[in-house]
Amino acid sequence: MSDPAQIIVEDVSHHYRPAVGREVLALENVSLRVREREFLALLGPSGCGKSTLLYLIGGFLPIGTGKILVDGKAVAGPGPDRGIVFQNFALFPWKTVRKNVLYGLERQALPRHERETRAQAFIDLVGLTGFEESYPSQLSGGMKQRVAIARTLAFDPRMLLMDEPFGALDAQTRSLMQSELLAIWEKTRKTVIFVTHDVHEAVYLAERVAVMTARPGRIKTIVDTRFDKADPEVHRAKAFVDKVDEVWSLVRDEAVKALEKRPP
Amino acid sequence: MAGVTDAGRRLAWGAARLAPIVVLLAAWEMFARSGAVTPFMLPALSAVAGRIYEDAAGGDLFLNISVTLYRALAGFAIAAVGGVVLGAAMARNRAARWFFDPVISVGFPMPKIAFLPVIILWLGLYDVSKITMVVLDAIFPVVTATVAGIASVEKELVWTARNMGAKNRELLWQILLPAALPQILTGLQVALPIALIVVVVTEMQMGGYGLGGAMMQASRFANSPGVFAGIVEIAIIGYALVGAMAWLRRRLLAWHQEAQGAGV
Amino acid sequence: MTVVPAPKAAAPHVLVRYAPLLILALAWEAASRLHLVSSLALPPFTDVVQAWVELLWSGELVSNGLSSLYRAGAGLALAIAVGSALGIFMAISRPVNAMLGPLVELFYPMPKSALIPVTVLWLGFGDGSKILLIFLGCMLPVTIGAYNGARGSDQHLIWSARSMGARGLRMIWDVVVPSALPELLNGVRTALALSFILLVSSELIVARQGLGNLIGYLGANGSYDAMFAVVLTVAFIGFLADRVYQAVVERVLRWRE
Repeated sequence: MSDPAQIIVEDVSHHYRPAVGREVLALENVSLRVREREFLALLGPSGCGKSTLLYLIGGFLPIGTGKILVDGKAVAGPGPDRGIVFQNFALFPWKTVRKNVLYGLERQALPRHERETRAQAFIDLVGLTGFEESYPSQLSGGMKQRVAIARTLAFDPRMLLMDEPFGALDAQTRSLMQSELLAIWEKTRKTVIFVTHDVHEAVYLAERVAVMTARPGRIKTIVDTRFDKADPEVHRAKAFVDKVDEVWSLVRDEAVKALEKRPP
Repeated sequence: MAGVTDAGRRLAWGAARLAPIVVLLAAWEMFARSGAVTPFMLPALSAVAGRIYEDAAGGDLFLNISVTLYRALAGFAIAAVGGVVLGAAMARNRAARWFFDPVISVGFPMPKIAFLPVIILWLGLYDVSKITMVVLDAIFPVVTATVAGIASVEKELVWTARNMGAKNRELLWQILLPAALPQILTGLQVALPIALIVVVVTEMQMGGYGLGGAMMQASRFANSPGVFAGIVEIAIIGYALVGAMAWLRRRLLAWHQEAQGAGV
Repeated sequence: MTVVPAPKAAAPHVLVRYAPLLILALAWEAASRLHLVSSLALPPFTDVVQAWVELLWSGELVSNGLSSLYRAGAGLALAIAVGSALGIFMAISRPVNAMLGPLVELFYPMPKSALIPVTVLWLGFGDGSKILLIFLGCMLPVTIGAYNGARGSDQHLIWSARSMGARGLRMIWDVVVPSALPELLNGVRTALALSFILLVSSELIVARQGLGNLIGYLGANGSYDAMFAVVLTVAFIGFLADRVYQAVVERVLRWRE
């Protein structure tokens, strides 16, 4: 509680300019504060701008109005202090697993031996020992995402930005990956901003859930979702189920609005 | 047991594919000998084969093939390197794209061979003209493929690399070109047969050494077996080059989806 | 073939897009007039235009042009007719495919320009040899396009057509050809470009008439401005043919949707 906020988003608005058609207001006066080592979820219906907000924090999109400060400095572009993980894995298909993980490390001035050791450590951490020389096209979806996570963790960013990382996986794999992510987070304790449209996932993974409105996106409410995640039965606990209901009803109104706004 | 049937199957498959060619060759020989056409119109396969053997023994065949191959491959190599460089410049630089886009777009469907007399006017009757003509024709598919390939690299790959601190030059060489490689190779595979077609035409027009020149010479002297021998020789060269290019593609893209998918 | 997606062509946009060509034309004129390059090697652009008009007026351009276009058109028409029939039959008949497939694969990489001497041997310097050349040379791209297109035909469409009593040729015409159309038309586009290349090549080397022959004649004469005029004309016709073809194809395919 007494930690100063690590990420400060203040009155940020963003216009999305498509190739054809008029520009659209994606985010409107969004303000948010994320504490260090916190696991925060950005939850909302499709089109609410949650990914856009993530990309702005990551420095992949230029900031128009408002400001975003990370560790006290304004965001000016992408950088290794904010590691990103995408939904479609974004692995370099021509590199092996090991080379993928090494790529971020090669950008930093580390001696070779140390790079190799770090890379191997993170490959082991995500449970892919033995697959170092495989190519992404030989891996399943879940495995690819684990490589992506290992790759991002390897260059030791100050925080993780995750854009619906499990969205492309089937339900069982997704479930497993969620528990694994939590386990990894317990060990490494980085700040995480996790974008998702899945209420259950948000409540399970995050300590706080920021619910966003339909487009143009704003932060509607922030809900506290701390539970004893070590308990394997936490999904069934009454407190948990009630919390999911609470968040769902917040999101549902927005989801309906988003549906109505969609062109026929 | 499985090994025997596997190898056996491969053998049978190869034989089945060769069969029509063997049939064609046999039909050629029989038809030519039958008297339905004069030996001038269709020399017997045996006569053509004999002619090829004579050329080979005399050293002419080797000379002509080397000269033609040298011109074609030199032009192809220049077109390949120049095409990728120009394509990369166009993909990354707005001014380059603005300037060259209409040139490429309008020039592609033009029969550039029409410019041969102009090239001869400017550069004379030597190899330089032939190679220049080849470059002029072969560079277009390479440029188009490179631009399309780089443009279609998924933005998440670019963002991931930038996230890890890659600068512009590193981005191009380490990420964009490898990611665009499948499409660039396709462009090269289109350019190679074009190079061969063009070099043969230039040799026919300008005479002298080379398979094209030899065939034109034979035609002038109404040397029918000579003309047919030339066709066979060039067909074999073309087949070998295209096959070599396909082999190269398989090796360079061993990591690609298409390699993992169907197996054989 | 557009390299970058072009924005909706409003008048000013088209100008901006093709402006570089205008710049090149101006640079050409300047370089020649200012004698930066020998005006023999590169006659001023305006001189070339003038020569072009003269050729048009004298009828030489038109008569040679018609001769060339007749040859290319006839050869291409034959190539399309025979090639597509061949490709479609290969796609629907296993035995035909087994017989002809390896042959197509064998002849595809052969440079078609190698056929120039043999067609001249058979049919001399006139129209016949050119038409035969273009027919033989352009057939394969059409065959392959037709084959790939027909192979993609939805099996279910074929079955339901069969169950409704469609047989043989009727079924092919009603079901297979329409679905094969896009790929087939793409193969024809390749054949179109190839036909121009073969036409110009053969006319440059051996011909009695036609635009290629005219270029050679003017060059031998030293009338370089006229030669440039015809060269540009030929290049432009090739470009125009492709663009028109694309527009027609787009219309046809949209209509089918």
